[in-house]
Amino acid sequence: MNWKKLLYYFRYYFIVIVILAVVLFFVGFKKDTVYVRTNQECLTAERVFDYAGVLDEEEEKKLRELIAQKELETGCDIVLVTLNESLEEYAKGYEDQLGYIDPSRYVMVFADNFYDENNFGFDKVHGDGVLLLDNWYREADGKVYSWMSTCGRAESAFSSGMIDNLLNDALEYVDSDPYGAYTDYVNLFARRMPPEKVPIPAWAMVGVAGMFTFFYVVAHLSQNRGRRTVNEKTYLAAGGRPRMKCKEDVFLRKSVSSRKIETDSGRSSGGGGGGGHHISSGGVSHGGGGHSR
Amino acid sequence: MVYDPSQRKMHCPYCDGIETHAREEGKGMEVCLNCGASIDAGDYRSAVKCEYCGNYNIFEKRVEEEYKPRFILPFRIGKKEAVDKIAKSCGARLFMPESFLSEASVKEMEGSYVPFWLYDMTADVSFRGTGTRVRVWRAGNTEYTETSWYQICREMEVDFQKLPVDASWQMDDGVMDLMEPYQYQELVDFEPEYMSGFLAEVYNQTAQELSPRAEQKAGKNAKVFLRESMNQYTTLMPQQEEILMKNRRESFALLPVWWYRYRYREKDYDFFVNGQTGKVIGKAPISMPRVFAYSGMFFGCMTAILLLIRELLEVL
Repeated sequence: MNWKKLLYYFRYYFIVIVILAVVLFFVGFKKDTVYVRTNQECLTAERVFDYAGVLDEEEEKKLRELIAQKELETGCDIVLVTLNESLEEYAKGYEDQLGYIDPSRYVMVFADNFYDENNFGFDKVHGDGVLLLDNWYREADGKVYSWMSTCGRAESAFSSGMIDNLLNDALEYVDSDPYGAYTDYVNLFARRMPPEKVPIPAWAMVGVAGMFTFFYVVAHLSQNRGRRTVNEKTYLAAGGRPRMKCKEDVFLRKSVSSRKIETDSGRSSGGGGGGGHHISSGGVSHGGGGHSR
Repeated sequence: MVYDPSQRKMHCPYCDGIETHAREEGKGMEVCLNCGASIDAGDYRSAVKCEYCGNYNIFEKRVEEEYKPRFILPFRIGKKEAVDKIAKSCGARLFMPESFLSEASVKEMEGSYVPFWLYDMTADVSFRGTGTRVRVWRAGNTEYTETSWYQICREMEVDFQKLPVDASWQMDDGVMDLMEPYQYQELVDFEPEYMSGFLAEVYNQTAQELSPRAEQKAGKNAKVFLRESMNQYTTLMPQQEEILMKNRRESFALLPVWWYRYRYREKDYDFFVNGQTGKVIGKAPISMPRVFAYSGMFFGCMTAILLLIRELLEVL
């Protein structure tokens, strides 16, 4: 095996590899995904609003630290609001804009407005983020309502079903352990929030390279002994055309058949599932889902 | 003649004759006109290269009378050009052994005049049968299909000229068919001088013996013309179809071929080059070490490139 020839044959591949490596060296290898906050217009740095007073100082502090860490990992503002008051009057005030609001949606109006009014959003005002409103007050219908309001990338990523699951998982023991429930909320959100760009797995690249190699080998292995380069006219005598002595085409009969053409009535295709999308009173698009206990 | 100490006699190293200058000429045995060595001309060889002195010998009695070719097509492509043609045709064949077409292996490449019968004949073609023409159209949401039946009659004559069939046992018929076509305008009346420096054979089979193959080739071509004359029909149902050959004449000709035999791992790989047009026929051997080395290197390079691109896409 002449290795010098082999290396010479692949010289352009090596050049491409070197160029890519140099570019990568200067651009810098990718580190663990850490998002940089770009929304500087948020009105508050606070993320834990315990108006219901269900958390002590230490718990609030720990939650703030956890949220700060998870915000950088997910690129989303993560907000927690607890209340212990009826939101009926508050929500009714927005029925002119939002239409009839049932008791389960009082929390939605408050959560959306709270997010909008504080200019939450990690990347921009009203950008990527999530807010959990847990109202401990038992409304007139006898239920305690919570609402998880999503916005931006979180709105796209979380369907209604995902929000239901997250709230069911997180708030299962909220009555007995509110701190544990809210910690779960933050952790579950961070875990289930997909990264902005899903990286192509390395094995897929190796698979593609294997596929290219297969075609490369097949292309170089396939060889014809030679192609036929004569046709029926090659050995015709000079000026050769077949001499037609008799050419008759006598019509015998004809038949016509018909058939109905089935027309496709057109089937509608299903669209992607939503995450309870709606527009808040402030005109901002939100997703979200509720929970009651 | 040289003195052989082991036999203590004069010995001819070419014909193995002991103390004699007599040339034994048996069946198929000839002597080199240059060095006097015995040459095995076999049953059909008319021009042979002496394996001792390298001289090309033409055996006159094998190019005379009933063996005298009517035509010869002189070589237009030289050995070097023939090697270049093979190299060019194999240019993209990456997995060939490195010694393929090396100077040492090309040394044995020989130009050879292959015996061919060139047939003139007329194909008498007749066809009777039924054909249908189908027309389909739509009106509203209804599709209509109209089928018309016709009684068809065709009778035609097709004249073929110099249809070649190789008359050498040594040459594979399929390969010789692929060597076609030859440009017959360069055919000349046979002169033995054209054979100088090349191998040659007399015909191994008579024109009569090979005529079925010629008629088969002509019949196949005639059938194409017949089908062309009825291509307006969607389906054909023949009642009678016949192709008869008549007015057959043949002439014996020698056509030029370069033959390169490469031996690799106990197997012979033959390449043939049309000595006039340069058309190359042959399959190159595959070297498995080269397949693994090149495909392995390709896989490594592609993997590296794709992973680097992936990394860049992640960063950017």
